[in-house]
Amino acid sequence: MRVSVLQENLAKGLSIVGRAVASRSTLPVLNNILLETEHSQLKLSAMDMEIAINCWVGAMVEEEGQITVPARLLSDFVNSLPKERIDMELNARTQTLHLRCAHYEANIKGIDANEFPIIPTYQGDMDAPSVEVEPAKLRSMIDQVAFAASKDDSRPTFTGVYTLLEGDRLTMVATDGFRLAVRSAILEEPAASNLGVIIPARALTELSRIISTVSLGEDDGVEVIFTQARNQIMFHLPGVDLVSQLIEANFPDYKKIIPTSYNTRAVLDTGEFLNAMKVADLFARDAARSVKVTMEPGDPGKVILTATSPELGDNVSEIDAMIEGEGMNATFNSKYMIDVLQIIDTPQVAFEAVSATRPGVFRPVGGSPEDEYVHVIMPMSPR
Amino acid sequence: MPRKILHLDLDAFFCAVEEQRDPSLQGKPFAVGGKPEGRGVVASCSYPARAFGVHSAMPMAQAVRLCPDLIIVSPHREDYVRASRQVMARVQELTPMVEQISIDEAFLDVSDLPEPLEAIARRLQTRIWEELGLPCSLGGATNKLVAKIANDVGKSRAGKGDYPNAITIVPPGEEAAFLAPLPVRALWGVGPKTEEKLHALGIFTIGELAAYPEQTLARLFGQHGRDLARRARGVDNRPVVSERGRAKSISKETTFVRDVSDARKLHKTLEKLAAGVARSLRRKKLLARTVKLKLRLSDFTTLTRQTTLAAPTDDETVIIDAATALFDRLWRAGQPVRLVGVGVSNLQEGLVQLSLWDEQDDRARRLQEAVDALQARFGPDAIHRGFEDTGKEGVE
Repeated sequence: MRVSVLQENLAKGLSIVGRAVASRSTLPVLNNILLETEHSQLKLSAMDMEIAINCWVGAMVEEEGQITVPARLLSDFVNSLPKERIDMELNARTQTLHLRCAHYEANIKGIDANEFPIIPTYQGDMDAPSVEVEPAKLRSMIDQVAFAASKDDSRPTFTGVYTLLEGDRLTMVATDGFRLAVRSAILEEPAASNLGVIIPARALTELSRIISTVSLGEDDGVEVIFTQARNQIMFHLPGVDLVSQLIEANFPDYKKIIPTSYNTRAVLDTGEFLNAMKVADLFARDAARSVKVTMEPGDPGKVILTATSPELGDNVSEIDAMIEGEGMNATFNSKYMIDVLQIIDTPQVAFEAVSATRPGVFRPVGGSPEDEYVHVIMPMSPR
Repeated sequence: MPRKILHLDLDAFFCAVEEQRDPSLQGKPFAVGGKPEGRGVVASCSYPARAFGVHSAMPMAQAVRLCPDLIIVSPHREDYVRASRQVMARVQELTPMVEQISIDEAFLDVSDLPEPLEAIARRLQTRIWEELGLPCSLGGATNKLVAKIANDVGKSRAGKGDYPNAITIVPPGEEAAFLAPLPVRALWGVGPKTEEKLHALGIFTIGELAAYPEQTLARLFGQHGRDLARRARGVDNRPVVSERGRAKSISKETTFVRDVSDARKLHKTLEKLAAGVARSLRRKKLLARTVKLKLRLSDFTTLTRQTTLAAPTDDETVIIDAATALFDRLWRAGQPVRLVGVGVSNLQEGLVQLSLWDEQDDRARRLQEAVDALQARFGPDAIHRGFEDTGKEGVE
């Protein structure tokens, strides 16, 4: 293998695939990145037990070839180089990759590329259900939902995002058992078939990061391929593929969790609500993060946040709000409240409640009717 | 508006309950406690026994020497707990502002009640006697400090040999005058060491302490000196804190009749204590963040270790695991142990995050609640965790 690439391009490619490199894998080759020449491009691949990423970097290929080298060393070395051309040459006999850039030179010992597992790569016609989603829309869907998934591996179902395709509607749902986020959007072209899969939240978070990193043209879309037979899903965008294992489980019936009515509804400024909640959180931190939310009807109505720490002191914040219905009092986890208020992108938000022991509901106010978002949080209660 | 605070103390409470169990004890010198040969101490003694100089916390062997006819009664703890609950329930009916300090003592803030303190005290004393047959004494004042001392003084003034049934009220403005003739030792915060130092300064009564320059006391005793000066003038602003806010820590300990060096027995004791602590937490609707272990060795060396949990809990499994881990790190195999104790602190109100779906957590919790309910009804031995040495798993 003999290939030349620009330092900036290689560094960017390595940062994209780097997040899929296994850490502490028992299979040493998975700590490496696979480098392969392919049609005058250099293809970089990395994978762990859950996700795999391929990324193509423009290159000048003089001699085809492939090798895997330790991800960490290669990335750190490349990141330290000047923005110039990097010439790479593989010594096939010793499986050592020689790199040269300006007055820097290195030999990095690799592992034979044949030991690297095969990663599915996007092919034009994959004979599997697929849809195309606008990158910015997909990213906002992920960012509004994925954080609500559980980080606790003991409940695998909840570490995933339930992704549903129904005609022209794409829906993503995530929950950790205490809160639930549901976001749906209308696709430009309806899907050929309806289906639902559970995608690891981490895979989607990485996808969101990749979308924000790569430079996309106006017409570029993210193609989502449901390669169900192999229990995988693939996301394809120009220059990058992300393949993820799916979580095989039955997602709980989330629809029956979402309250269909309320006794009290407050509409208030999202930013003010978020800031008051962050202030309350300072005091709630060593009190199980509990913040009392009082909705007080009146002219104007008020939402009052109260946080009390047995050691630190207490805090009360009042926010003007339009209150519909009766006065209400419920206690919520401040982290959950901050999480949702941070991703609601409309200037106003509605907060609805039935009672102190029933779920509270957040909805953006005045957003596009196509982009439906609802976020449900269970309150805290004295037992 | 001055506050109206009462201090309630059940007179020789354990003895009064024992007399209800066995009326033949009435008027006789007897003591409730452990057997003299097994390191027993006097938990409570009847007023006839007190006339012989017997007092609580005295080794039983010494009590028997002072009063050779002393009848020793083994304690019936469940009966005391039941009687105490009945009393506190009646107190609660008077006011929710009740701070229970022990099984037989409580402070009441009755500022909201219109009648004079003496009438309120009389009414409560009569009710507890008529409905429960238990004698009690009350002290009343504008604050906790003076109410408590008033009660102690009132009880000691009552005739020897019978239940005092005292009521002693210090009217507003007369706190300092009431305290003045009393020995400094009667004041909270004056132990033997402080007493000795005060005596060296020529201070013997609370009045003398109140008249002493506060700056000098502050120089000699620091903040403690300033506190003493304030208390000596009968000033005490501490509120009556009802049950919930009060608990700062909960602990249970066991002193072995003979020192124990068997790992299995120690572990088993530890587990029972930890389970008991968890039960108290659940009853008080509190969660704990810190678990503490206490070991006293045969030479009376006391060792304590504590650990902070990842999340606040009232789950006995978590508390047992934490206490066991501390024990295993602290205890050297074969070391004879005189006392083990398990405690929790860093308490907070038991707010729980509710789940969207009723799941495993809730199943475990429901099991725990069912076990608690059975224990509340039939006693702690009705049902408990299967400990390792029974060879059984789970709940029996």
